[in-house]
Amino acid sequence: MQPFAVRMESRIVDHDLWRQWQAFAALLSSANPTPQARSGRDGGVGFAPFIDAAERFTAAARAILDGAGNASARTADEAARTFSDFLREQFADFQMPWSAGLGAAGIQPGPMENSPAIGSSREHQQRWQRTAEAWRRTDDARRRLQRLWSDTLSEAAIAFAARLGPAGAAAVSAEAVRKLYDSWIECAEEAYARAAHGDAFCEALSEFVNASSQWRREVQASIEHSAKLLDLPTRSEINTLTRRLRSVEEQLRAASKTPKPRAPASGAKRASGAKRARRRVKP
Amino acid sequence: MTGAALYAALAAASHCAAGCSQKEAVWHSGKLTLYRYRPIARPAAGGVPLLIVYALVNRPYMMDLQEDRSLIRGLLASGLDVYLIDWGYPDGADRFTTLADYIDDYLVGCVDYVLKTHRLNALNMLGVCQGGVLSLCFTALHPKCVRNLITMVTPVDFQSPADLLSKWASKIDVAAWVGDGNVSGDVLNQLFLSLMPFRLMHQKYVDLLAGSPDRERIENFMRVEQWIFDSPDQAGAAFREFVIWFYQENRLVKNRLEIGGRKVDIHALQLPMLNLIGKKDHLVPPAASAALQRLVGSDDYTMLEFDLGHIGMYVSARAQREVPAAIARWLAPR
Repeated sequence: MQPFAVRMESRIVDHDLWRQWQAFAALLSSANPTPQARSGRDGGVGFAPFIDAAERFTAAARAILDGAGNASARTADEAARTFSDFLREQFADFQMPWSAGLGAAGIQPGPMENSPAIGSSREHQQRWQRTAEAWRRTDDARRRLQRLWSDTLSEAAIAFAARLGPAGAAAVSAEAVRKLYDSWIECAEEAYARAAHGDAFCEALSEFVNASSQWRREVQASIEHSAKLLDLPTRSEINTLTRRLRSVEEQLRAASKTPKPRAPASGAKRASGAKRARRRVKP
Repeated sequence: MTGAALYAALAAASHCAAGCSQKEAVWHSGKLTLYRYRPIARPAAGGVPLLIVYALVNRPYMMDLQEDRSLIRGLLASGLDVYLIDWGYPDGADRFTTLADYIDDYLVGCVDYVLKTHRLNALNMLGVCQGGVLSLCFTALHPKCVRNLITMVTPVDFQSPADLLSKWASKIDVAAWVGDGNVSGDVLNQLFLSLMPFRLMHQKYVDLLAGSPDRERIENFMRVEQWIFDSPDQAGAAFREFVIWFYQENRLVKNRLEIGGRKVDIHALQLPMLNLIGKKDHLVPPAASAALQRLVGSDDYTMLEFDLGHIGMYVSARAQREVPAAIARWLAPR
């Protein structure tokens, strides 16, 4: 992408995006009067997060476009840096898959984490220790991913400031604001792609998933232990029954096969027969 | 567009349904439904039906989103007799469903139904994305049942340099991640959005706001939005096999894939094949699809590249003009 034009032709924003986004956000907030919607920051509530960011972006873009025409090159460089820093901060809490972490469900590691497991509850102590260890690993990986995300945004901000050029200003129009925005997105995606393809990101993401998996397995085991005490059915028991049912179905299918020689489309025909058998045993 | 106008347009479009072509459910098995589309044009010569095998990870109505965004409508307009597999929404009872179940049971059942209905020995098959992988496996296992095979945005080499999903999956303990359960569609949505987070989670919505309040544009946006987030949970066993065998071990390329105890040898495929690739596909990089050419044994292999992304291959205006026509043209003499 070429740096933006330096000419200043008009200071009038001909189509005020900021105002219409603000109006739109207000409408959504009244339609979704939840604390999350009002905060405008929660990733789960429709348009609120990006409207919030878009509003701030537009205001900052107007500031830099307005100011650049009257300022020295040095001041414009500083304005560009300020603007790119602002963008970096805006996306710092972007909702990515690892952002939520384990939240309140996580088990904080305590003093018992490394204590020797002894006595009649030894197995349970060890499971708690494994759970705590998995939580610690998950949280470490999440922090590593957040750091990589932050580095990505810094890199994007530097690239964006460079694209703005020494006196990077264009006419203060909706089109100019939009070009700034698209340029920022392009810089951000390029920086993110470099990070996401890198070993550090892949390893951190793998560790996050693997540690989360272990944490879930340990918590599941704890819950199943409690369920057994109350004689409640557990997921493991249901899985066992499902496997038995599948085994019975497979035996039925095998028994339904006739010893006829294979015709050209025999694979399809045999399976169709099996399908009929399968349907008979299903509720 | 003013905020009020956009809000009103989105609210009006929020319940608009996807799907435009008339179809009839002709066969069921478990949660699977096989649809046959009603013709809208004079049948093409030959009359061999085309079975569309869609991916497991998304819903198949993307192929028939709305009248001016429907690959299926384009195929019907070319006189093709179109069938479509809807795999349904797996639930906890399907957690042990394997790839062998999908390919050698469900897919075989669909093919069997179509062949019996038309009194044919072989049909034409169009595999889309992951459905293309299933189609390749099926064709390798049952080569006499498929007359012509078309693959669309289908990964074959799962370890091409630009394949971000493959890099992310390389060190994940998939067996532990899946456990004995299913994989949440919501988690997969997050994963796919994370491939290009700024464009897919931010710029897309700014584009929406910046555009005109045209009703058709808003409805099209909402239908695509519905499709993107309408992601079924994945049957755990099949998902685990797919990630390990294809992404982590690249078995198709290494010719080490077995389904249900039988070798899947795509090198032995001799049938006519058409491979449709999106040059801007961020999900299935072009190189991942193009690898098919060097792996199959067919002398009648055609590859067509379109300057489109993954989703653009189904719903862009350009795809409507070019993709169904290319398929019909290629099938006509075969």
